[in-house]
Amino acid sequence: MDFGFSEQQRDVQNLARQILSENVSAEKLSQYDDYKAERFDRELWQKLAEAGLLGVAVSEEYGGMGFGFFELGLLVEEAGRTIAPLPLVSHLISAALPIQQFGSTAQKQQWLPGVASGELMLTAALCEAHNDDPAQPYLTTASADGDGLLLNGEKTNVPFAHIANRILLAARTNDGIAVVLLDPKAAGVSLTAQQVTSYEPQYVLHLDNVRIGAGDILAAGSDGSAAMQWIAERSTVALCAHQLGASDKAMRMSASYTAERKQFGVLISTFQAVGHRAANCFIDVECLRLNTYQAISRLDGGLDATNEVQIAKIWAGDVGHRVSYAAQHLHGGTGIDRDYPLWRYCTWLRHNEMALGSSAKTLAKLGKRIAAGEAFCS
Amino acid sequence: MKVEFTAAQDALRKELRAYFENLMTPDLKAECDEAMGEGGGPLWREALQKMGKDGWIGVGWPKELGGRGMSPIEQFIFVEEVMRAGYPFPFLTTESVGPQLAEHGNERQKREIVPKILAGECLIAIGYSEPGAGTDLASLKTTAVKDGDGWLINGQKMWTSLAHFCDYVWLACRTDPDAAKPHKGISMFMVPTSDPGWSCSPVHTLGEVRTNATFYDNIRVADDAMVGELHGGWKLVTSQLNRERLSLVNFGPTAEMFNNIVRWAQQLDLPTGGKLIDEPWVQINLAKVRAGVEALKLVCYKQAWAMTEGNLEMADASAAKVYGSEFFIEVYRLLGEVIGEASLISRRTDGANPIASRIERLYRTASIITFGGGTNEIQRDIISAAGLWMPRASR
Repeated sequence: MDFGFSEQQRDVQNLARQILSENVSAEKLSQYDDYKAERFDRELWQKLAEAGLLGVAVSEEYGGMGFGFFELGLLVEEAGRTIAPLPLVSHLISAALPIQQFGSTAQKQQWLPGVASGELMLTAALCEAHNDDPAQPYLTTASADGDGLLLNGEKTNVPFAHIANRILLAARTNDGIAVVLLDPKAAGVSLTAQQVTSYEPQYVLHLDNVRIGAGDILAAGSDGSAAMQWIAERSTVALCAHQLGASDKAMRMSASYTAERKQFGVLISTFQAVGHRAANCFIDVECLRLNTYQAISRLDGGLDATNEVQIAKIWAGDVGHRVSYAAQHLHGGTGIDRDYPLWRYCTWLRHNEMALGSSAKTLAKLGKRIAAGEAFCS
Repeated sequence: MKVEFTAAQDALRKELRAYFENLMTPDLKAECDEAMGEGGGPLWREALQKMGKDGWIGVGWPKELGGRGMSPIEQFIFVEEVMRAGYPFPFLTTESVGPQLAEHGNERQKREIVPKILAGECLIAIGYSEPGAGTDLASLKTTAVKDGDGWLINGQKMWTSLAHFCDYVWLACRTDPDAAKPHKGISMFMVPTSDPGWSCSPVHTLGEVRTNATFYDNIRVADDAMVGELHGGWKLVTSQLNRERLSLVNFGPTAEMFNNIVRWAQQLDLPTGGKLIDEPWVQINLAKVRAGVEALKLVCYKQAWAMTEGNLEMADASAAKVYGSEFFIEVYRLLGEVIGEASLISRRTDGANPIASRIERLYRTASIITFGGGTNEIQRDIISAAGLWMPRASR
């Protein structure tokens, strides 16, 4: 049991925090409000690439730093702290990491150097209508077509699909799950823009007899199911890390606000009712932090983490929700005023709460595992 | 960061689990059940001394103090396992006052009392609260007045739990009635309960746990009964409480109870067909408990780790105490709901299910630590001030 950061982890955390805090501001974020512009800061993206952070978990032979999943998680946490306008989770965790893990040498050579350099954009389509379990696609099918596959179906809420070079997605086949890298420019692919609460660019992805060549298949059959489970767990816990950064920041903004705002001639932080609401957030965020770090640490160490990831997601949903409303409330009207930076955090807390399974849904999943004898306390 | 037990820690957990399976004989279990989770009986004492002889009580203590020299994490693993086994472990003595004596005690205390604590031969109760001093502890009135080469102690304490079978009371006394601030006039003493001027009368509580009012009538103690510096007691009180808070919310017993109830619900046939555990609402209740226990485990071990690093944060200790104490109440409700009306059947009923009757009892004791060990309102004050740097009202 070691809850301390290694020197390497601290370096990544500090570097990410420095670059992101210096380059993300409320003023800059405001230009993406209401989809006035595509919510993607390409200049900042290049800065992260130059600092080596986009390749933090890409192996050195493909131009990365070769660090582990924990360091990557810390980068995402810092992105959450600033709600940076960057597709870090969809690009690095849901797409690049699986290519590194499951891809052929050719696939790795094709994609990973561009991931580390920031020149290529990847994303993943993990969600279908009324089905947010990435490991169990129902509405997307693949059938054999020579040495490739023919895809049909639909995915929703696909981030940055319009600028992606490849979209990782899973389709149901006769003998399991196929995980493929789809070129959004291929014949039969069409995208419909969706406007969502966080202003992230998202699309419905329609697939009409889209041919996938053998070189773009990442995994198939029972390997495909296992690969999607692997991807789902890492993507889920990445959302938890983002939620951790965002909720920690929203909480600290609120604490600072109460230490400046006066009513009845005194700082409102001196009212016990105010302090206690903030203290509840502190406890909540600490629980989210420790569960998130535990899940990331286990995945990083190659240990089974199904229960720990689910538990972290339950906390991410609940804590995000509670911190969001406590922060809005403690700020009074200021919290919802669009000239003050808090409200954007609330939309991301909501995003992370709902993406890849809400607390209720995840509790039900965990409950099934408990019933099956798979989730005893050790 | 590596949030998992090392191989050696895993092995220690296994070793301890097997050790306590042997130690907890049916007779000892029955005696502990009768004592309502407090201990104090003859078999209980015998078992504590055996743990001492076997070197467990001080597993995380430095070797020069008679411990095994492992870290606070191993110490916490030991306490988790002993509590999981259902043994009412005197953690106030071993985990909170003991380390204070080891750190701040004088030579005699270190020589005579500390080894006895590690041997399981000395028990200490906490004497803080008074009829008029609870949350505002610094307003306490029990006095220690200089009397030649010793001190004369007079006063009354409330909620002196375990005192009726303890050897000493770790007693907070006013030594300077004129101090500029009340907490600057307090000193700590180790007062023997064998003194003729000491007496105690029981207070019976909702959960059948006995606590006490204790009385101090012209008790004369020598100078070396004082712990730490004259008028320097407040620091010892607060750091003792920080340590106590971690022990109060040990997650071990809850983890064990969760596992037992899951196994029970997996087996239980419903009259309407199927097993109890197939019910969706049962699964949801259990999942809520499971997710909460995991957080408690991590909160506890992070603090044990922080102690190994020597940087236990006040806000974290308070957060653990608030979270744990309020979570326990929620757990007993959620698990009680799973068991249903059977969770109202007392262990005194013939054929009572021990799992259900445990919830019946715990439900009645659960409120104690939301106010005991420093009320949760004060803990939240500490969290917002020390954890979030929010200016607070002066008191």
